[in-house]
Amino acid sequence: MISHHHYLLPILSSLALTIPVVAQAQPPAGRLLAAQCAQCHGTDGKAVGDMENLAGNNAQELFNEMLEMKYSTNMGDIMHRQAKGYDESQLSLIAQYYASLRSGTANRGTNNGAAGTGNNDD
Amino acid sequence: MNTISRRHFLKLMGATTALAATPPILKAQAVPPRVVVVGGGFAGATVAKYLHRWGGAGVSITLVEINPTHVSCILSNLVLNGSLGLSTITFGYNTLQQNGINVIQDQAVGIDNGNRKLQLPGGKILNYDLIVLAPGIDFDPIPGLDFNKIPHAWKAGPQTTLLQQQLAAMPAGGTFVQTIPPKPYRCPPGPYERVCVVANYLKRNKPRSKVIVLDANPIDPNFPQNPYSAIVAEQATFTKAFSRTYANIVEYHPGVVLQQVDSQNKIAMTDHGNFKANVLNVIPPQRAGGIVESAGLTHGGRWALVDPLSYESTLPGQSGIHIIGDAQGTGQPKSGHIANAEAKVCADAILRLFAGEKPDPNPMTNSACFSPITAKTASWLTAVFAYDPNTLDPTTGKMGVMKVVPESSGEAPSATRENYQRMFTWANNLFADTFA
Repeated sequence: MISHHHYLLPILSSLALTIPVVAQAQPPAGRLLAAQCAQCHGTDGKAVGDMENLAGNNAQELFNEMLEMKYSTNMGDIMHRQAKGYDESQLSLIAQYYASLRSGTANRGTNNGAAGTGNNDD
Repeated sequence: MNTISRRHFLKLMGATTALAATPPILKAQAVPPRVVVVGGGFAGATVAKYLHRWGGAGVSITLVEINPTHVSCILSNLVLNGSLGLSTITFGYNTLQQNGINVIQDQAVGIDNGNRKLQLPGGKILNYDLIVLAPGIDFDPIPGLDFNKIPHAWKAGPQTTLLQQQLAAMPAGGTFVQTIPPKPYRCPPGPYERVCVVANYLKRNKPRSKVIVLDANPIDPNFPQNPYSAIVAEQATFTKAFSRTYANIVEYHPGVVLQQVDSQNKIAMTDHGNFKANVLNVIPPQRAGGIVESAGLTHGGRWALVDPLSYESTLPGQSGIHIIGDAQGTGQPKSGHIANAEAKVCADAILRLFAGEKPDPNPMTNSACFSPITAKTASWLTAVFAYDPNTLDPTTGKMGVMKVVPESSGEAPSATRENYQRMFTWANNLFADTFA
């Protein structure tokens, strides 16, 4: 596999000039892990509604925040539970990945009327 | 070329598509490999979206879905009490189409995996290099059960509307009977959430009404005196809701198995006698969606046998078929949130396989959901799953399972108003991450 890579490298870089996005042999570190945050924090960390955006945050701050939740004894907070699911190296990868992304607004699409907050007057 | 030798051949080539003996990544770019996705729910839409986001022009994606839109089961219990309209939880595929994903509204009827062909009605064929099946669930047949009279409302859409209309027409002092299937089924807390939402609706709108719950799941033998030990998810939350919040409304019967239904007279016939209802809601026992079973991917069981690193079938002759969402049998809960999580692991694995690499050896997934308990409060349930290469999966006979990380798993300490608002924030982000 390793020699295979060396063989491909020059070809890959030349192709990158003509094909804007290609299937990458080595996806960015942390991308798959970080994508597991997107269900609540939005695709690429760009959230809709009242939810913390992760994209473009400072890596160290994000990491520290997740560490605090990981080692918190408050088991009654959903994110404190989530943070306990990952080891420190995974949390670091997640923080670095989101720090590498640009902040911005989420794509809500053209046909994805979000559910709002319901009609719960009584 | 038989399956075994073909697999070896692919390994040598380092690709899942045996196109030619050239470096696979070059081939992938010259002729993008064709991925067909069957099913446009949370699993199918997410895998199509992320294959495009991460694979770009390097992969050609077709989504086959029989319906023009997907109606989310998530939040659909709030349609029953009039809090939400069905349209607000209905999602189209426009964004996927705008991103170049070919969306075909049709039925997948069969798979000829030897020739890499998906069969559609009328003899039509879709060729694929790799196929992802995300058909969701099917129901076990129950004698006498007619869904036109007795809705399941466990696939959201017209069935949800039918149950909502029946509840609206129910007389005060009436009886709502709901059956809960044996686990595993779609959305572990869902049936109990529905009991709460309906009990709350009846309390406010149909005084003196009763909710009778017939739960096929048995009492935990370690807690024989506690009937609520049968509750499949969020035991503390739902025990409190049934025994206190709705103490005069909900009558909970664990270990009661539905055997037959009199749909005309709305009678649930069980191993513990007959229960007559004004409105009867049967949530039947569940299995993988039909195409998974007919393609031989369940090996006689209820769910597809897959490798949790890639969600590829572990059965001989079924390489190149990946199964995600409720139909897969890794033991992870069956819900829209974790279906989205599995889809990302699957998409990442597929792109690595196309590039001649192995899947990520340490995939993580997570489950999170909020459940309305009253018209103003909600609870939550969450867990993170990590791949453990050193545990045998008894269903596939292979090493490697997704395991809950112990401290990550838990439920809300109580149902709160704040959680009710956060429920919509969670759902709206999940909807956007899947369909937008």
